[in-house]
Amino acid sequence: MHARDIGNRVRSVVSKEVGRSGTFGGIVASHELVHYIAGTRDSNENLTRRILLLSESRALTNPLLRERVIQNVLSRYVVHDRSVQSRRGIRQNVPHFLLNDVVRYWRTMASDYASKMWERQREGWGIRNVKLRFSRKVLFIWGLLASFAAELFPSPELHQVENDDEYYRLLSNLIRSLTDVSPLELLARVVLDCEDRDVGDAIFSSYDRFLGVLANPEARTKLEEVVFEEALAEPAYAGLRDTSQRFREGVTRLFFDAHPKLPGLIRQYGVF
Amino acid sequence: MRPIGFSTGALAKGDFARGLDLQRGAERIDAVELSALRDHELPALAEAAASLQLDAFAYVSLHAPSKLQNLDEETVFGLLLRLPEWPIVVHPEILQTPSLWQSLGRRLCIENMDDRKTTGRTVEELRELFEIYPDASFCLDLGHARQIDPTMASALRMLREFGDRLRQLHVSDVGPRGEHLPLGATARRSFAHVAHRVPGDCPMIIESIIAPEAMEQELDFVCAALEMTLTHAASA
Repeated sequence: MHARDIGNRVRSVVSKEVGRSGTFGGIVASHELVHYIAGTRDSNENLTRRILLLSESRALTNPLLRERVIQNVLSRYVVHDRSVQSRRGIRQNVPHFLLNDVVRYWRTMASDYASKMWERQREGWGIRNVKLRFSRKVLFIWGLLASFAAELFPSPELHQVENDDEYYRLLSNLIRSLTDVSPLELLARVVLDCEDRDVGDAIFSSYDRFLGVLANPEARTKLEEVVFEEALAEPAYAGLRDTSQRFREGVTRLFFDAHPKLPGLIRQYGVF
Repeated sequence: MRPIGFSTGALAKGDFARGLDLQRGAERIDAVELSALRDHELPALAEAAASLQLDAFAYVSLHAPSKLQNLDEETVFGLLLRLPEWPIVVHPEILQTPSLWQSLGRRLCIENMDDRKTTGRTVEELRELFEIYPDASFCLDLGHARQIDPTMASALRMLREFGDRLRQLHVSDVGPRGEHLPLGATARRSFAHVAHRVPGDCPMIIESIIAPEAMEQELDFVCAALEMTLTHAASA
């Protein structure tokens, strides 16, 4: 299928054009996605494409091709990222390379927001701000959860493996299976592990409102055109800003308090 | 020891007699797969089957046609029934009438596929097939599995889930158009990662398309890949 055909097919579903940064809407070879991970040859575009390939891509024509590229990316992140063996023989079950790149992606998005504020003189800042508060954050959450897959979604066979090489191949395969799960659904799976039902309400009621506003063309235009100095007087923006705070509180409670495993994982791997 | 040998079709395309002759008397070869990959090859092979000299081989299997071009399914099945009790390696796409093939029981040996096919490529797709053919055995094609998943995690999962069905291996490199090639260094390295899951007595059929003078070298490469693994397994 030619790039133009792909573009036409995408436009038949999504009327909005891709962003002007050039990150999307063109042909990309998988070589860069697989081989330029971190290091001097990686770029913001490459990092963005790679993490979005993992977290929310779908194949239009050849699902196995998508799977193969993802498996190759995960091979770098998981199979070939080994740490020195622990003295106590404890296996490293959180792939640090993947986790670090996911965190890097989140911080890059946040920094790029500030950069675009400067470069574009705040043009379109409102919608970018709101996306950062919701949908971009959910991508980060997907990455965290995928990095913690061995703890959160272990397959029975993963626990039975004694051979390290086999273990990391199966872990990579487990994370590959999560690339078929949308970020929101993966988030819902861990929310269901919480006894505190308010967490789910705070997260999903807020997100539902965010989606509702973005699906409303009039409200979306207001978000795209809102003037920075008058932001709190614009109900579309101000309302979502308040909602985003409830969303953030829900996510924070999930990761730091309410979930049976996430607080320990975040404490151990989240920052230091 | 693991029986090892070549597919006759890999050594002599369309000429099973020559493919056999080339292997008879070779010191390390004690397994063979008779190839009738193209359906027009099957009648002659079925005719000759009873009189073939196969004493040199501890393991013999038959590769059924991969496509039905000149013969229909029923005719192919009838010809296969005339053969001795060899395992019959099949590609899933020729299994059009399940009741027919189910009657072969364990003799039916389903091979995992490359990415040109639409089924039998992944663990999930194979699982569906084994639900239809619960008694069937399994031929793990390492080259196909690597083409589908270069990390070899899928091959590993196939061995874990279908290991008790495993009847034989297919070994070769696989090119971008699905062609069977001599085993390269990266393929050898990939295969070594999973071969510790293969029972030591599982027959290994080499499908690399090579000239006869390259047989010894190909045997060396294949054996080396497995020896590496056996060493890894022993030290794990």
